[in-house]
Amino acid sequence: MKNFNYVKAPDVRGALAFLDREGDKACVVAGGTNVMVDIRAGKMNDLTLVGISDIAALRGIQEEDGKICVGALTTISELAASTLLAKQAPALYMAAKVFADAVTRNSATIGGNIAYASPAADTAPALLALKADVLIESEGGKRRVPIAEFFTGVNKTLLQAGELITALEFIPNPYSAFFKIGLRNAMAISVATAACAVKLAANGVIEDCAVALGSVAPKPLRAYEAEKILIGRKLDDDTVKAALEAVGAAISPIDDTRATGEYRREVAPVLVKRALLKASGICVHESCKDGEGRIQHG
Amino acid sequence: MAELLTLTLKVNGEEKTFQAPAHLSLLRLLRDNLYWEVKCGCEEGDCGTCTVYLDGRAVKSCVTLAHACAGHEVWTVKGLGYADDLTAKLQKAFVECGSIQCGFCTPGMIVAAKHYLDHDGRADRKAIREAIAGNLCRCTGYQKIVDAIYNVACELSNNDLPHNSKLKTQNSRLGLSGSPLGGVAHE
Ligand SMILES: Cc1cc2nc3c(=O)[nH]c(=O)nc-3n(C[C@H](O)[C@H](O)[C@H](O)COP(=O)(O)OP(=O)(O)OC[C@H]3O[C@@H](n4cnc5c(N)ncnc54)[C@H](O)[C@@H]3O)c2cc1C
Ligand code: FES
Ligand code: FES
Ligand code: FES
Ligand code: FES
Repeated sequence: MKNFNYVKAPDVRGALAFLDREGDKACVVAGGTNVMVDIRAGKMNDLTLVGISDIAALRGIQEEDGKICVGALTTISELAASTLLAKQAPALYMAAKVFADAVTRNSATIGGNIAYASPAADTAPALLALKADVLIESEGGKRRVPIAEFFTGVNKTLLQAGELITALEFIPNPYSAFFKIGLRNAMAISVATAACAVKLAANGVIEDCAVALGSVAPKPLRAYEAEKILIGRKLDDDTVKAALEAVGAAISPIDDTRATGEYRREVAPVLVKRALLKASGICVHESCKDGEGRIQHG
Repeated sequence: MAELLTLTLKVNGEEKTFQAPAHLSLLRLLRDNLYWEVKCGCEEGDCGTCTVYLDGRAVKSCVTLAHACAGHEVWTVKGLGYADDLTAKLQKAFVECGSIQCGFCTPGMIVAAKHYLDHDGRADRKAIREAIAGNLCRCTGYQKIVDAIYNVACELSNNDLPHNSKLKTQNSRLGLSGSPLGGVAHE
């Protein structure tokens, strides 16, 4: 027998009070696209659903003091329609463009995507590449966690009972990109994803970079060894080759209904290469002219 | 039996009060209250047959929590068909183009198409296919559905008025401009 309670949080303060009172009996509901499926599948029960979707303060994309702050309730549709992100954080914009389908994107939120912590969460590699911070609040106060530390396993994060994600914050980087391969061109959960962000010196030397992947390990991750190889070098064939070998060592893909681990091992470096080239502005492929982070089928 | 909680929302322009368990989906709420035009396919967000208009955006009602819609405004394909010119045009075009075989996907398709055309959608077959990518059809092979939406898009862009401003008037008359669970898909 399904047994839930429901409370609607009027504002952040109200939400934090409910979360504090309910402790680990609380389940935040944002867009509901994960929660509703899990409730129906009987994966959760005996919880108080805390509806946060009416909290306007958690929605929207702001640029302030050289940082972009995306409210947790911002929908994927809003990300995919943001000219600011298209220019200043293409990795996140490209991920939003190929996320689920147009209708699901109207409900799905960035906070829900991160909190659910699926290995295949599409915004995760983009936010990892942008070195975003997860902004968290509870009755006890505020904290900020680098997203690279936030995910701890399949559907597992550092988020504690009583805590709410309020926003994702990062320094803009126009030199960033995201690619996804799914089983079809639309509405496909990722088989593998990659996002890269680079900082190039005038002579083409990579001063800094971040390489991130999704669906190839229990959690979305950074390929730190690949980053170390790239930093201080130019993006020539040898460097790319060495970096992609390091990507291979960083991932631990498994077989599932969507693809085999072996296949993921083949495509992940290809996605990283494309994201690197695209982020550096030297992309040559016809297929990504329209700024979509999808490897097209057919 | 789980406890029933009260919620009030607008459905097809009428204020309604319901009793529903806390976890009920908007789809179940609507179907349990005789809005049978909203179809139940997968109940997992995959098929799109349950698509409705919520505060001016198409959403899949099976993955929308009913109680989260309290105080908001929901339109089904049937209500829109009576109250909204664009939806009526789409319905007519679906019939004329032979876009309906068994008809199960049609209510969701039309709401998804309305969302597309309401949010700057153009007569562009690729973009139309993207717009209905979350709506599955077992019968038609999509071609005739795309034709119908394309025809309506052409009709709108041929009007003297930019179709957008016309639709906005339409929407404000219907009060479809708010944005509770998420935003409008354009800037
Ligand atoms: C048809 C379909 C297709 C999909 N395709 C994709 C896809 O292509 N890529 C992808 O990445 N995902 C996909 N998803 C999964 C899902 O849509 C996303 O993960 C979405 O971003 C979840 O957001 P939501 O607001 O709907 O979350 P909800 O379901 O409301 O919540 C998800 C989880 O996050 C928690 N939560 C939500 N907001 C907060 C917050 N602010 N603070 C703390 N905890 C919070 C909830 O308690 C819950 O555990 C798909 C889902 C469906 C149904
Ligand atoms: S790197 Fe962009 S598609 Fe080639
Ligand atoms: S019934 Fe809602 S998407 Fe299938
Ligand atoms: S006519 Fe609909 S499945 Fe055959
Ligand atoms: S007409 Fe039968 S599912 Fe589309």
